[in-house]
Amino acid sequence: MATRNRTTVYRKHRDACKSARAPLSDSFGGPVIEMVSGSFARSNHSSYAPLSTNDPGPSSSNDAFTIGLPPAWVDDSEEITFNIQKVREKMGELAKAHSKALMPTFGDNKGDQRAVEMITHEITDLLRKSEKRLHNLSTRGGGPSEESNLRKNVQRSLATDLQSLSMELRRKQSTYLKRLQQQKEGQDGVDLEFNMNGKMSRMDEDEELGGMGFDEHQTVTLKEGQHVSAEREREIQQVLGSVNDLAQIMKDLSALVIDQGTIVDRIDYNIQNVSTSVGEGYKQLQKAERTQREGAMVKCAMILLILCFIMIVLLILKNVLF
Amino acid sequence: MALVTSVRDYINRMLQDISGMKVLILDSETVSNVSIVYSQSELLQKEVFLVEMIDSISASNESMSHLKAVYFVRPTSENVQKLRHQLANPRFGEYHLFFSNLLKDTQIHILADSDEQEVVQQVQEFYADFVAGDPYHFTLNMAANHLYMLPAVVDPSGLQRYSDRVVDGIAAVFLALKRRPVIRYQRTSDTAKRIAQETAKLMYQQESGLFDFRRTESSPLLLVIDRRDDPVTPLLNQWTYQAMVHELIGLQDNKVDLRAIGSLPKDQQVVSLLQYREVVLSSEQDAFFKSNMYENFGDIGMNIKRMVDDFQQVAKSNQNIQTVGTNIASLKLYSCKDVQLLVLVTVIICECFGFTEDMARFVDNYPEYKKMQGNVSKHVTLVTEMSKLVEARKLMLVSQTEQDLACNGGQGAAYEAVTDLLNNESVSDIDRLRLVMLYALRYEKENPVQLMQLFNKLASRSPKYKQGLVQFLLKQAGVEKRTGDLFGNRDLLNIARNMARGLKGVENVYTQHQPLLFQTMESITRGRLRDVDYPFVGDHFQQGRPQEVVIFMVGGTTYEESRCVALQNSTNSGIRFILGGTAVLNSKRFLMDLEEAQRISRSGSHMV
Repeated sequence: MATRNRTTVYRKHRDACKSARAPLSDSFGGPVIEMVSGSFARSNHSSYAPLSTNDPGPSSSNDAFTIGLPPAWVDDSEEITFNIQKVREKMGELAKAHSKALMPTFGDNKGDQRAVEMITHEITDLLRKSEKRLHNLSTRGGGPSEESNLRKNVQRSLATDLQSLSMELRRKQSTYLKRLQQQKEGQDGVDLEFNMNGKMSRMDEDEELGGMGFDEHQTVTLKEGQHVSAEREREIQQVLGSVNDLAQIMKDLSALVIDQGTIVDRIDYNIQNVSTSVGEGYKQLQKAERTQREGAMVKCAMILLILCFIMIVLLILKNVLF
Repeated sequence: MALVTSVRDYINRMLQDISGMKVLILDSETVSNVSIVYSQSELLQKEVFLVEMIDSISASNESMSHLKAVYFVRPTSENVQKLRHQLANPRFGEYHLFFSNLLKDTQIHILADSDEQEVVQQVQEFYADFVAGDPYHFTLNMAANHLYMLPAVVDPSGLQRYSDRVVDGIAAVFLALKRRPVIRYQRTSDTAKRIAQETAKLMYQQESGLFDFRRTESSPLLLVIDRRDDPVTPLLNQWTYQAMVHELIGLQDNKVDLRAIGSLPKDQQVVSLLQYREVVLSSEQDAFFKSNMYENFGDIGMNIKRMVDDFQQVAKSNQNIQTVGTNIASLKLYSCKDVQLLVLVTVIICECFGFTEDMARFVDNYPEYKKMQGNVSKHVTLVTEMSKLVEARKLMLVSQTEQDLACNGGQGAAYEAVTDLLNNESVSDIDRLRLVMLYALRYEKENPVQLMQLFNKLASRSPKYKQGLVQFLLKQAGVEKRTGDLFGNRDLLNIARNMARGLKGVENVYTQHQPLLFQTMESITRGRLRDVDYPFVGDHFQQGRPQEVVIFMVGGTTYEESRCVALQNSTNSGIRFILGGTAVLNSKRFLMDLEEAQRISRSGSHMV
């Protein structure tokens, strides 16, 4: 595809215009316009630009172009981006730790398991922290201005990244668990691993079962069954817990993430700012419905209270009069 | 290279070298160019966190110097003025200017003059000056499309602007493809001739350096033709998915505006979808649409049913998981020891059914599930609405007669059929008008008495009918004005072919019409496009067959024709066709252009 660069032509003209203007201002005796300093400040490519002193001299209109600090919420977004970067690195570590923990070794590899758990916890913490921070980026009040659009879009982009990272984590976790189970179940009908955790609770359950009148053999089988169930329960709790966490994060994020291929993903649609007002309108409708319903309930309650009060008064009157 | 890919490449190149948070500023035309090929989420990935129109940017004075501005606008004088004001009081840290077409030197002077603070980092020309809806179909979305029907004397400046815009669009297409073509035009059309000559001047004289690309063994061909050579195609009712949606509801920049539909269903899923009142129908983003956009209505119905069945399977399994999940949760509320055994049993049962894995898989697949749900609702809504419209307007009946008028002979029978439908109360005004127009185009010279009777009947039946519109159409696109053999009754070969087709019978009576474009493409493929009818511009001639052909239809294309081109391209005949036009027509738009042209020519003749 063909393009044409007109920058050199443009710069030539611009310099010509500048030199044409410079002798003009000199004739007025005003200060020489310093434009070079402006361009050097802008050569820094990061999104933070250095603060240059805003010196309102006598010829304020022709001062060097001042670059102000970006607004405060950019700090939040920068931190979330940094967290996302850290999460990506940790995912790499996690993959390595998973493969190490899955390697068949003699003796228990609790150290590796713990390492895996630790890294998983760190990642989940980072994700949760980032997600909380993300809500700080929401605009507070004000109509659809450019600034609010900007924040909304930054929020959306970070939400998409976070969501994809959480999905990736979940997938890694599930494959790891599956492979782990396959390994362990090969040896025993039961997970040896979880048996270790079961040892603690065995002590206090002993006395209770003894009191139920089972004989020794049945007690043993029942105890084993209990342990199996306890371990299974714990495993399910764990899975449910992490799935719950993930579901929570995803539910919070899904409001922000754009559904690809739908109308919300169209640039021209977003420019028209219809989405915010429609979403708001829908929410307002729901709220109105709720308050209306509640209003009716409140009215009923009031009427009942008043009726009760009237009845009590009548009762008192009846007792007083008779 | 397909057109969609070219525009995407341009946008990628614009954004890739600029780091940091960016704001993309577009004008009312480039916003269509960009939105149709690039999505909002892709822009966010490129760190473009704000998209604004060039008008609204100048409205505010708030300084956002932590952002870099990327302008992508057409090089019009209005845009240059707005840029001038912006550069005098810059709001953003840096300015990167990309224009969608050729800049004049004066415009560069004006911009350089106003850039006192030297905020502009680059000025480039990226030629994405057309709306690439499908890989081989583009449009220029021009508003005043009717001008091509009027002689130059009526509105010379308007026609000049029209012609300039078309030339700019065609030039951009060829610059994006990096080709310089041999140009041919339709002899009978003044507008086509003018556009062809101006394009040739631009490519071979004014900017010959820019267009001087590596010569391939056979030059590509640009063929500029006029809509009025085939007025039948935009008037017909359509039965293939994309064309039908445009005809019955309206497709603009690959978006369907559902607000045009009266009452909407109250189904829960549909309500969430229709919260936005607009849906996207893009072959690039929707796999179902891509495989069904050229299928006819009956086949679409079956495919949609299959899609709904598949989706219901997935939905049912998700439903199971949710109920089991709530059961388990309620069990866990009781923590007394009697229940431990019960829990054990439940757990074992769940394990047998692989519950935990299912639930985990549900959470993993939730985004795809949601997307599938949205897609299914969208297609079901569209097809339901279209069926309702077909039923209400009796389109099956009307369309059968239309297709007969377009494809088969028999003046007497045609007259009877049209009269019957004109008398039918449930046929709408626009359909009556279309029928009479088709009849008039076909049987213009046969039996003028009956033709007159039809005109009178139409005028009496349809109160809103603009008098003389059909006659105006005949004056514009009547049998004397047309080059091509629209009805296949001009030369012996075509008559024989029609008879053979009639004997063989047709697969589907509603889609038997082939646009004239099909014959044109066949002639090009065989190298038999007549010089008399389609002369060359200048002294460049075509050696042998071209390998790339861009057909530009002044006055607009239709989705039936774009389907024809796509099907032709898929036959691997060695030639790649690209179709473009000033707008994408449906019958409503075509009639609107006709009415506008008639109104102007009437007022013009009063002044004369």
